[in-house]
Amino acid sequence: MSELLGNLALGFGVVFQFVWYTFNFFGTQVSVPIPMNVLFCLIGALVGTLVGVLPGIGTVATIAMLLPITFGLPPVGALIMLAGIYYGAQYGGSTTSVLVNIPGEATSVVTCLDGHQMARQGRAGAALSIAAIGSFFAGCVSTVLVAALGAPLTSLALLFGPAEYFSLMVLGLIFAVVLAKGSVLKAIAMILTGLLLSMVGSDLETGAGRMTFDFAELADGIGFPNIALGVFGFAEIIRNLELPEESREIVQAKVTGLMPTRKDLIDSSGAIVRGTVLGSLLGILPGGGAVIASFAAYTFEKKISKTPEKFGAGAIEGVASPESANNAAAQTSFIPLLTLGIPPNAVMALMVGAMTIHGIVPGPQVMTKQPDLFWGMIASMWIGNLMLIVINLPLVGVWVSLLRVPYRLLFPSIVVFCCIGIYSINNSPTDVIIAALFGVVGYWLTKHDFEAAPMLLAFVLGPLMEENLRRAMLIARGDVTVFFTRPISSVLLITAMILLVIAALPKIRRRRDEVFVE
Amino acid sequence: MAEDIKPALEGSRPGEMPHTNNLRGGITVAVLALVLLLGAFAVCSNTIMFQIGPIGVSSTMVPRVLALLTAAVGVLIAFNLIPVRGPQDFYGGLTLVLLAILALAASAELPGQRGFAFGPGTAPRLFALLLVGLGIAVTVVGMTSDGPPIEKYRIRGPAVVILGIFLFAALIRPFGLVVATYVAFMVSIMGSTEMRWIESLIGAAVMTAFCWFLFVKLLGLPFQLWPQDNAHVILFNQFEEVIRQTWIILLKMVEFKSC
Repeated sequence: MSELLGNLALGFGVVFQFVWYTFNFFGTQVSVPIPMNVLFCLIGALVGTLVGVLPGIGTVATIAMLLPITFGLPPVGALIMLAGIYYGAQYGGSTTSVLVNIPGEATSVVTCLDGHQMARQGRAGAALSIAAIGSFFAGCVSTVLVAALGAPLTSLALLFGPAEYFSLMVLGLIFAVVLAKGSVLKAIAMILTGLLLSMVGSDLETGAGRMTFDFAELADGIGFPNIALGVFGFAEIIRNLELPEESREIVQAKVTGLMPTRKDLIDSSGAIVRGTVLGSLLGILPGGGAVIASFAAYTFEKKISKTPEKFGAGAIEGVASPESANNAAAQTSFIPLLTLGIPPNAVMALMVGAMTIHGIVPGPQVMTKQPDLFWGMIASMWIGNLMLIVINLPLVGVWVSLLRVPYRLLFPSIVVFCCIGIYSINNSPTDVIIAALFGVVGYWLTKHDFEAAPMLLAFVLGPLMEENLRRAMLIARGDVTVFFTRPISSVLLITAMILLVIAALPKIRRRRDEVFVE
Repeated sequence: MAEDIKPALEGSRPGEMPHTNNLRGGITVAVLALVLLLGAFAVCSNTIMFQIGPIGVSSTMVPRVLALLTAAVGVLIAFNLIPVRGPQDFYGGLTLVLLAILALAASAELPGQRGFAFGPGTAPRLFALLLVGLGIAVTVVGMTSDGPPIEKYRIRGPAVVILGIFLFAALIRPFGLVVATYVAFMVSIMGSTEMRWIESLIGAAVMTAFCWFLFVKLLGLPFQLWPQDNAHVILFNQFEEVIRQTWIILLKMVEFKSC
């Protein structure tokens, strides 16, 4: 316990680090202490919300789009800012759900149901603040959870050899498949596509160029940001162009009465706690953590409610519980990333991309070698949540006015913003072209109802998987059974298989479809 | 926009729809497969992928055979000899098979396993083969169960936006951030059917100013801001380079290696 507190203290110490900024004030040198990392977190949460509020732009696209602005920062600052962007983007999505009835992303689809009804009854303020308060509570709990589980899981990771790592990643990918929507078969096909894409470029061991077609630009592989921005940014824009400019039903009434009433708080307190517990648990599982969590929390709340008929007609529990759940899950999904180095979902895959660009290899060694980074990031999660509540509620008016900008002006802005962002990473025009091509690929994928998220996840895991597979095979002297004879590895693989079988069972499949249809 | 209301024409169920879409789809598959077949003949390696009885199948043999088979499937589709019940899955699966063949051909010349050690080519070939299997599985799903038709592809909007991005890539070095941003904005906004001139011109200027402020002023990224002195020469050289590279690849593809 005391160790936990000590670690958290270290984390907060990092976050509240002051940098003395000296400037010339009318001829005298004045030094002011600036909490740089808090500032980064604040900026991150702000721009994250700013982009996340835009309808049709999900969390992944937001983070991919804003990655480049963190490149100039020191690693700790950059990751703290990214965490801020993540929470901002999530919260931005909820704001759009409540006010416009267009979910900014999958995690806030359920928030639409009751949130928008509340807004139409003139209680947009209450809905937004309950979402923020619920998220904050969930954030507090799950921050402690992440901190508490971090150390034991890291020591577990040290028991892992290459075979175990490989099996764990297989399990993670299978989880992602099972928890994603749509056909299991197609999701696995997407994973293999992602793995193949990750192998373009130089071979890890021999340095031989693989599948590069002798393009010098492909020698280092296809850049992760290019794929992410292409498939989630450009493709999204192209697809949205097809939809007729929807008559956005923005709640016109001024958002007043931000504070929820005492009754609101009492009504939603139970829902917040239940949502937090559910979300924290589901978030640790690899796969679509936050999305599943919000759906599950809503369904659960509706089931145990004494007045289920109120759900869908503006029940405050229907906002509180999914919002708490998705925030809790968003947070706890950092656990597998920080301790085992394995991103459990597409957002975390982006985080890995960002970490790699800063020269950090995520995994158990981060906690021991760079404790300031590890604990600083955990502490910044809490700060990020606090920021949301402090800055975002007063700024609701600003976000609403942003929603009034017509899409026809918005999308070219996003296009050029993405272009500059990609170009800035390597100063390479080729990267921009690759991203554009992946935009076309992403467009094709949606036409054929393929999910891009498993592909992205597999792309990030690809090099790690191949490396561990090769090592495991080498150590086992070419014996494939090693994955089943080593106990941990075999348990992981068998779990993966059971999951696959379960997901393929017709009864479960129908149930899965229902969850996503609702 | 009358074309929006019409149901998508792609895909068909036997007996219900005209053959034309399967004709188009089948020809596309066949042509792509034949191009891949051509590419697969441009590589040659003696790496044995697996043994069938006494015959060792080399890594260049596999993509050739698969490409040929896929081309044959394409012909069968064109003649409506294969039931396409879920076009989304059917053509999606076939495309994945084609992609996997491309990967097999591209990694055919990489050395394979030596002793217990994986070679650079082992993993790509392994995963590509798995993808072939899954692609076929998805295709079979598209043959056996009814699925929604493929949504109509819109050409204009996407093409214009992609053109805008390409222009950005071409202009950013020689002509600098300001010109590239402004042009990319103005071109991609044409992708919308609701473009208004004045608003767009102003919007482009505002966005350019914002990007300059954010990326150059605030983040201090080293961008070329204004056109270089010999901008048009650099632009021309870039195009020349692209054409040269494409030409080399084409030449390689028609190269014929028998082994």
